[in-house]
Amino acid sequence: MPTILSVVAVQGGAPTRTSLEVLTRCREIAAARGWTLAAAIVAPDAGTAADEAARFGAATVYTASVPDGALNPPVVAALAAIVERADAAIVAFPSSEATKEVLGALAARTGAAVLPDVASFDATEGGVTARRPVMAAKFLAVAEATAPRVLVSVRAGSYAGAPADAPSTPETIAVDVPAAETRQTLREIVAATTGGAVDLSEATVVVAAGRGVKDAEGKRLVEELAAATGAAIGASRAVVESGLFPATAQIGQTGKVVSPEVYFAVGISGAIQHTAGMSNSRVVVAINRDADAPIHQTATYSLVGDLYQILPALTAEIRRAKGLA
Amino acid sequence: MNFCVCIKQVPDVSAPIQLRGGELAMDAGRVVLNAYDASALEAALVLTEAHGGEIDVVLVGPERASETVRKALAMGATRADHLVVPEGTPLDSAAVATLLAGHLRGRAYDAILTGKQAQDSDAGLAGAMLAEHLGLPYATNAVGLDQDGGALVVTRQADAGQEVIALPTPCLVTCSNDMNDPRIPGLKGIMAAKKKEVVAQPVATVSAPAVTTRGYEALPTRAAGTRLDGEVPDMAADLVARLAGSL
Repeated sequence: MPTILSVVAVQGGAPTRTSLEVLTRCREIAAARGWTLAAAIVAPDAGTAADEAARFGAATVYTASVPDGALNPPVVAALAAIVERADAAIVAFPSSEATKEVLGALAARTGAAVLPDVASFDATEGGVTARRPVMAAKFLAVAEATAPRVLVSVRAGSYAGAPADAPSTPETIAVDVPAAETRQTLREIVAATTGGAVDLSEATVVVAAGRGVKDAEGKRLVEELAAATGAAIGASRAVVESGLFPATAQIGQTGKVVSPEVYFAVGISGAIQHTAGMSNSRVVVAINRDADAPIHQTATYSLVGDLYQILPALTAEIRRAKGLA
Repeated sequence: MNFCVCIKQVPDVSAPIQLRGGELAMDAGRVVLNAYDASALEAALVLTEAHGGEIDVVLVGPERASETVRKALAMGATRADHLVVPEGTPLDSAAVATLLAGHLRGRAYDAILTGKQAQDSDAGLAGAMLAEHLGLPYATNAVGLDQDGGALVVTRQADAGQEVIALPTPCLVTCSNDMNDPRIPGLKGIMAAKKKEVVAQPVATVSAPAVTTRGYEALPTRAAGTRLDGEVPDMAADLVARLAGSL
């Protein structure tokens, strides 16, 4: 019986939201095809990930340990060892910079085909079919991988995560990682300093700043709205390039993909390279004084006006509603 | 340090592209050097200008991609290799990585640079696949590149913050276009490019690619929503009432 293996990323001691979305999708495919659902955890510390994998229905949980701050060699080695041990026909990952760092090398090592950064995927007779953004995220390509083993990475918010009807009691297999020579050295980690400690990719509320946010005052208003709503702060490429916001805040085709419940697009025009990163948001609130900005055409709620006036009013209103005033 | 920069000719994604009958229609003449590869080449140029060394470029593509080879030479690369595939040959990331590995095996570059992804496929796989085939230490998504003695120091954009990683040579790095603004060749560079060596050789892919594109679709569009009007305080109150429960 073929195995579909879902790689679960761990952050802050728990599986990431995108990982659980992907695990849910893998469970659906396994159920539809009568395949085995397995989960893979490669981390210094699995935290609650193994329990969550059980709650989401994995029949087998493979674990491998890598040191804290590990660079790509031990991670590729650990994933390769698990993929071979599980003899997985399909291996699905949450798409992230961490996944992008290892996906190509893992594919070459295990002889697998790859469909990266997909918006949707399904198993086929000979492999996997998927839809993925191409041409600087202007279109979806219908891609097919025909191979006995296919790696797939899935964009955040592509699927809803849901635990299994009944939790499984999985077999847990700890896989030994062959020694991986790391020839490169990590010299420094430069932590991002965005206002707010919420991880953008995991956030349920995002406040994103665009070109309309022109200065430190505008940034302050964005930060206050984010604080009032418990939001993570994102940014368009323009304000990252201007230096107002850090690169880790960038949302869009070459930045992060976010999928919050509520996305506040503040002073953002709505160019495709940006919307590619937030199109899975459930509710979009556009605040832009240009009534013709494309973002207004697809926002759930559209506020045409000066963000320097709207944001303080909105923040005050939210604080009042939450009893925080 | 001697570099090899792997480059690709891609459609100009800022040119008009339409969806017709499940296929993409665009002006075949609107092609460019992949922006991420241009950043990789620019990074190599900055380093060789400061520290010495030469830059080879290698391109996998049809005959007509020779124009992009010349563009790279005009920017300042020393010489070029063009691995020529027949026009219309389907290639996936694995096929390209295999062709490049075949070319690079046995050549002694200190560092191989590639763009982190191609603007048409947005796949982002070939660079790391190539590193695996060649057994090279690698890093992806470089937003900064420096030389420190015999090591290449990469500032990598990670999910949360940046990592500064020192790689011994030989190594491979994939580059973000956030790293720099690639130079536009001047007349002098364009004239010099005409005299630089380009070795073009036909190559064949061994088998049909495992990954193919069956067709294209439009991105799903969100339905138009509700415009809120009125004075700012009323708009704010209206919005918060509508969002109650989501926040």
